[in-house]
Amino acid sequence: MSRLSFGGLIDRAQPLNFTFDGMKHAGFAGDTLASALIANGVKLVGRSFKYHRPRGILTAGSEEPNALVTLRSGARAEPNTRATTVQLFEGLEAKSQNRWPTLSVDVMALNQVFAPILVAGFYYKTFMWPAKYWEKLYEPIIRRAAGLGQLSMEPDPDSYERAHGFCDLLVIGAGPSGLIAAVTAARAGLRVIIADGDWVLGGRLCSERHVINEAAAGKWVDDTVAELRATPNVTLLSRTQIFGAYDGCEYGALEQVSDHLGNIPPGKSRQRFWKIIAGRTILATGAIERPLVFGGNDKPGVMTASAAATYVNRFAAVPGRRAVVFTTTDSGWSAAEDLMSAGVQLAAVVDPRTDSQPPAAARLRQAGIEILSGAALTDVHGRTVRSVDVLLKDGSRRRISADLVLMSGGWNPSIGLGSNLGDRPVWSDLVHSFVLNTAPPGMKATGAAAGHFSLSGSLADGVRAAEETLRELGRTSAVAPAPLAGDEPSASSPPWYSRGHRSKAFVDFQNDVTDADVSLAAREGFVSIEHLKRYTTLGMATDQGKTSQLNGHAVLAAATGKSIAEAGTIMSRPPYLPVAIGALAGHHQNTAFRPERRTASHEWARERGATFVDAGLWKRAQWFAHPGERDWLQTVSREVSMTRSGVGICDVSTLGKIDVHGPDAGILLDRLYINMFSTLPVGRARYGVMLREDGFVMDDGTTARLGEDRFYVTTTTLNAAKIMQHIDYARQVLWPELDVQATSVTEQWSTYSVAGPLSRPLLQMLLPDLDLSNDSFAFMAAIELRWRNLPARLSRLSFSGELAYEISVPASHGEMLVRALFTAGDAFHAVPYGTEALGVMRIEKGHPAGNEINGQTTAADLAMGRMMSKKKDYIGRAMAERPALSDTNRPSLVGVRPLGGARLRAGAHLLPQGRDPLAANDQGYITSAAYSPSRGQWIGLALLQGGAARHGELVTVHDPVRGPDFAAEICDPVFVDPEGVRVRG
Amino acid sequence: MRLPCPYCGQRDSREFVYRGDAAPTRPSSEEGMYDYVYLRDNVPGPMREHWYHAQGCRNWITVTRDTRTHRISAAVLAREDSR
Amino acid sequence: MDSDYRLTERPGLGMATIMARKGIQPAVIGAVLGFLPPDGPERAADARLALIGTGPGTWLALAETPEADWVTQLANKLNGLASVSDQSGSYVVLRIAGSGARETLQRGVFIDLHPAVFRSGSAATTVIEHIGVVLWQLDDVPTFEIATFRSFASNIRHWFELAAAS
Repeated sequence: MSRLSFGGLIDRAQPLNFTFDGMKHAGFAGDTLASALIANGVKLVGRSFKYHRPRGILTAGSEEPNALVTLRSGARAEPNTRATTVQLFEGLEAKSQNRWPTLSVDVMALNQVFAPILVAGFYYKTFMWPAKYWEKLYEPIIRRAAGLGQLSMEPDPDSYERAHGFCDLLVIGAGPSGLIAAVTAARAGLRVIIADGDWVLGGRLCSERHVINEAAAGKWVDDTVAELRATPNVTLLSRTQIFGAYDGCEYGALEQVSDHLGNIPPGKSRQRFWKIIAGRTILATGAIERPLVFGGNDKPGVMTASAAATYVNRFAAVPGRRAVVFTTTDSGWSAAEDLMSAGVQLAAVVDPRTDSQPPAAARLRQAGIEILSGAALTDVHGRTVRSVDVLLKDGSRRRISADLVLMSGGWNPSIGLGSNLGDRPVWSDLVHSFVLNTAPPGMKATGAAAGHFSLSGSLADGVRAAEETLRELGRTSAVAPAPLAGDEPSASSPPWYSRGHRSKAFVDFQNDVTDADVSLAAREGFVSIEHLKRYTTLGMATDQGKTSQLNGHAVLAAATGKSIAEAGTIMSRPPYLPVAIGALAGHHQNTAFRPERRTASHEWARERGATFVDAGLWKRAQWFAHPGERDWLQTVSREVSMTRSGVGICDVSTLGKIDVHGPDAGILLDRLYINMFSTLPVGRARYGVMLREDGFVMDDGTTARLGEDRFYVTTTTLNAAKIMQHIDYARQVLWPELDVQATSVTEQWSTYSVAGPLSRPLLQMLLPDLDLSNDSFAFMAAIELRWRNLPARLSRLSFSGELAYEISVPASHGEMLVRALFTAGDAFHAVPYGTEALGVMRIEKGHPAGNEINGQTTAADLAMGRMMSKKKDYIGRAMAERPALSDTNRPSLVGVRPLGGARLRAGAHLLPQGRDPLAANDQGYITSAAYSPSRGQWIGLALLQGGAARHGELVTVHDPVRGPDFAAEICDPVFVDPEGVRVRG
Repeated sequence: MRLPCPYCGQRDSREFVYRGDAAPTRPSSEEGMYDYVYLRDNVPGPMREHWYHAQGCRNWITVTRDTRTHRISAAVLAREDSR
Repeated sequence: MDSDYRLTERPGLGMATIMARKGIQPAVIGAVLGFLPPDGPERAADARLALIGTGPGTWLALAETPEADWVTQLANKLNGLASVSDQSGSYVVLRIAGSGARETLQRGVFIDLHPAVFRSGSAATTVIEHIGVVLWQLDDVPTFEIATFRSFASNIRHWFELAAAS
């Protein structure tokens, strides 16, 4: 065990048991999985992506590239989880990834033998010849070898929530500068949201030893956090990662509500997806330490200096017994001191810098630690760290034994979010890294994220940022100065890397990119930063290059002779850390994926045994099967026959319905429909067709005139919203001078179609006081009336081709009406019919519907050319007259009757008889097909080239996926009652 | 993205339906109808666009938005938009 | 999170859409109805009728105890001034009242419901989980009401159930 007996932010009174690769271990509350593994002396945690090299824990934060584990098992297994940020809980199960059969014996490590071939971009140069092996050999191999971690392939059992936040100031990060900025703004009365991904707040103050206001820094953190929690205008979100900046000052954040609980209480969500609108944003995300590039820098036992200090200071976990510290920064020296006070033997401190050294150097020299200035670590030996080679200033080499290497190559301000909206960071010679120049609207970086690496500098900068924010928002307020803190040295040198190494030196640990790969890319001409990234895959792993990008820039700069400042850097894209798709989906999963809309008759239909079908978001009754019926075809044919011989009732409430009112309502409709509506008499309805401005048919429906300035427009179900939008566009944008108002009443009315020869006597029973005789209430009449003291509408419209009516009442009473219709209908053996029977009947009558109004057909194509008025302008008129759209050889609507009883299916193509089934011979296709009980055979509607002139001709129906070819006759699309006698009766 | 509806205030862009360039004017005759239906300028900079607040006030608005920076500088009710 | 609130349905309300005709100012309509219709997204009411501003020159009218021909009477009163459409069947109206009402609703709507910007008399037409709602605040309990299209109502009720569970 490598655990100190005191110190750290862990609770030794709460031991926790966990397993890693099946081995049992113990940790404490307050541990991460990584710190607990370190305390248990576990050095090997994974295998690298390409070479399957053994890997250990590199960092102590979310930038971790190596320690990716699969957390939990079964349906809740989560691959590629960074062990460094998992809060340890009782019973935690974790497994290493990317190895077979075991972590210590990984067969895929053989890849290392092929290392010379597996260099950067190797897949552009290999697997090409012989080409015929691609599908069967190369691709399966690559797929098996690629990827890190595996999905459980089971449905996600957890639930996820959404939350919305609004604030004057969003503070991203609760380290010293974030906390001071938040509390300063909160005291001035701003609405503040402060978020941090950790469960313990304080940022670097949890990992380093500092003094604030002459007490341990932890006290200042506790006091500040307590003040924030107690302030009503502050929302403090811990375990919450702001993962992206978006247009409109919008930020996406992921709150881990229950990830740290072994068992989630039922009903409680696992994670919460926040959408936050911030008046101003302070980016207080700190800085990430750069690794150094030297031979064997990826071996277990090599970690960043700040990580080692964090494990010792925050978790009381000691990562090794004897350490070599290799640093180009002053902070590396502080880490060395922290380790020494924890009892780690310091074999040497190696600092390539030859100029001034921080005060820590003198203290360490006094303690007898060997200091090697102007020297560099070149190689690491051992499967895990056993010894290191150091190149001294005088050119000689020394081997030093150690089991731990700390490396500190500098600090990169963590500015990823700042470049989400296209602001390219700029090089700073002061901090030897990239900083924000411009930023998303309202955002400013502060503290280490702005290059202020000392604690006092960071605190002062946090106060400054808050003051600026208050000024910008016009809130003047007295602001307390920053608390007293040390101004520790924070110098570093430009990005540096080892040149004299003998073994592989890694730049990107997760994607296994070495410095040789970067140099190779440069030699092959990939000298742009963006090309370097894509060609070598440097920075393209799940860690998005947080520990690799800058070092890659440095190697490239050396190879091309172009400075890092000149070459620039890439930008970061959201999400900053991986986000579960379930969290983004929230409640919209499975049946709740989209809202479901139900009509007023839904319950009644369910009782009657309806099978439902989706029509947009609506559920509509498709058919009503009787027990003993063989299949849907028998059911639907029965519904059709009984409607045509008696009476059938269908719920047609889902069609779009729009009240178009006002003195100029008729004029507007004239400009939208191809036919006239301003001349429609009150009390009458008319079928109308609307075109798009390019001349193609957009939608059809019947519109009734209920008053001088009151029209009732209907649309198809699926186009209801589109037509409402179209009408609003016409009256608000195209012709705002017209006095016309329009509002959707789709939901206001429940509408039922009552169709068949017995429809009149049935309705007469419901409406005894209304004269429904043909003379008084003729075909296409439309009136308002009352039924059981409710407002109601009645029209004589027919989609089925039978004598038919449509009766409507407010949807709040729609169920009452349907039950009343069937009570009255008992005497007439009224049958409920669904969308299938509705479809059969309209196909029998040759009425175009969605299959024919498909955005590619004109009014003329659909035999409605004569409806196009020549007396007025309307949308689409001019473009519909284009020669190509008036060509009579265009595919036009015809009927199709198969010979010999064959079954027709929509989608089948039509070819001239005797011609080969080639695209050149294709003359059209069947748009709608149905079994017609009225005709005793399958029938169809089709779009056939020059079809109107080809009635009587025989063609071949070609549908090779579903059956052999057969012959069919082209005919009139109206198969039942072509004279239209029944509707007028 | 947020859009400033003149009636409803700042709203998530998902409450709206985007139509396109507000610049083209519908000609009253065939002359220019082809251009009106099919041709559009692709401007790198501020553009006036038509958006329909479908899940809000159901009004069309003309938004001036920079296609490079996404910054929105103006929004008026389309019916009040003088061309 | 404070999730203490009561959810009740308000059946039987008379509802209608009122859309002012061209050139007719709200004051003219107000003179006929007896009180000024709101100029923006707000609620104004007298003892019998409430008007919620849902758009320029557009209001959702609510009557607590409507007579059978309430809409016809309203249309006649506003004849020539505004177009009136019956919406009594269109909407389901839910009342949400209690200390946790605001926080709960905030999880569903992506507009700022903070009492500094959304208070008694404020209204908004927006969405909860892709479903359109008209939302207004009645008092400082706080009590809110939302009107949603009838066919979508079960989805909204389901959302409240999930919000209450978590």
